[in-house]
Amino acid sequence: MKTPRLSRRQRDLLNCAPTGEERVRDRTMRAVISRAGKSHEFVNQQNFDRAVAALVRVIPMPPETAEWFSTDLISPSKWTWKKTVRNPAVLAIGIALVVIAGVLVFQFVARLNDFPGSATARKLLAIAGSTRSVLLDPVNADAGTLSDLFFMKHGLEHYDVPPEFADFRTIGCRVFDDDESRRIAQIWVAEKRMQFFLFPAERDVKTGAVLKFPGWRYVHQENWIGAVTQHNGVCFMAALRGREKDLTPYIPKTKQ
Amino acid sequence: MLGDARKAQDVFHATLREAAARAAQGELPDERFWLFRDARWRCLEASETDLQAEPVGLDEHDIGPEAPSKIEQLDPTQLAIWISCARDPQRTALALFYLDEFDYREILNLTELKLGELSRLLEQGRRQFQAWLYAMLPQKPNLNV
Repeated sequence: MKTPRLSRRQRDLLNCAPTGEERVRDRTMRAVISRAGKSHEFVNQQNFDRAVAALVRVIPMPPETAEWFSTDLISPSKWTWKKTVRNPAVLAIGIALVVIAGVLVFQFVARLNDFPGSATARKLLAIAGSTRSVLLDPVNADAGTLSDLFFMKHGLEHYDVPPEFADFRTIGCRVFDDDESRRIAQIWVAEKRMQFFLFPAERDVKTGAVLKFPGWRYVHQENWIGAVTQHNGVCFMAALRGREKDLTPYIPKTKQ
Repeated sequence: MLGDARKAQDVFHATLREAAARAAQGELPDERFWLFRDARWRCLEASETDLQAEPVGLDEHDIGPEAPSKIEQLDPTQLAIWISCARDPQRTALALFYLDEFDYREILNLTELKLGELSRLLEQGRRQFQAWLYAMLPQKPNLNV
């Protein structure tokens, strides 16, 4: 077979072709060899190179030098976990995987504590943090008595403060619409400057049925903690700035 | 590279000593082929004091299909001496290429040659070696004719 017409670079590559196809690691080289690999000239060149390389392999090595290779002094470095871990690429991938895993675990744990209405509860905790007492209508009464006020003045049914918090003295209250036009009742009490929120429970989008959950559930948002319970399609949340342990004494353990 | 076992051994030991000293000081270069590059320069330095081949044009001949069988008849030391007598960078190119351990990119990296230059040096080396083979081991007359 005659050598096909090749560009200068292709001829150069062919001249530098290794003696075995398994040693071709370069795509361009592979392409050139596949194109001109069967020509007489290239076959002669390959046979020539193989013969020379074979002769080079048996060039005698000085015995003192050969000793270096026969002992463990010069040997390929062994693969170890320590070395692999210290490789910057492996290290970078490892750190990235740890960060991704951390984010996933964080999200999983956050989801673990989710309940119907938890998103609204978190938004209300943010509102609690930014509310000033002057925004509320001053009311000095027991929190439990405000259910009638909400019903008569605002037409809000079942906006009842649970018995556990019914005796707390109030400082003020208000009713407002949130960003989804849901009616929210907010009560400020004197006890630990706690705030109560009453808001409609989350409903199934298709059936409209209330998505219920039992007992009390905690939510956290920006140093605020809230304990949420649901009754008659209305959620009640007691919120204060602090940790869960600050709120726990007020929550009946049997109902958690 | 040197065509002399004693010199090759000296260069080998000097290269290793340098590597050990650098390793002890934590100064091993990041470059992958520094040890080979170092050994190459030591070889070239060591051969500077030798008789140098005159820059005369060697005979060249196309590679023939019978070349492998002729090469098999050679003593390996003859090949080593032939390569060591080539002028650098052809000597380095031939030595590294026929060691059969490096691909052409690695040889280009080590020798700092361009692809065209390496190609020319190898092609020329083959043709010169083929001509030398014909001179050393002339073809037997075909008695069947």
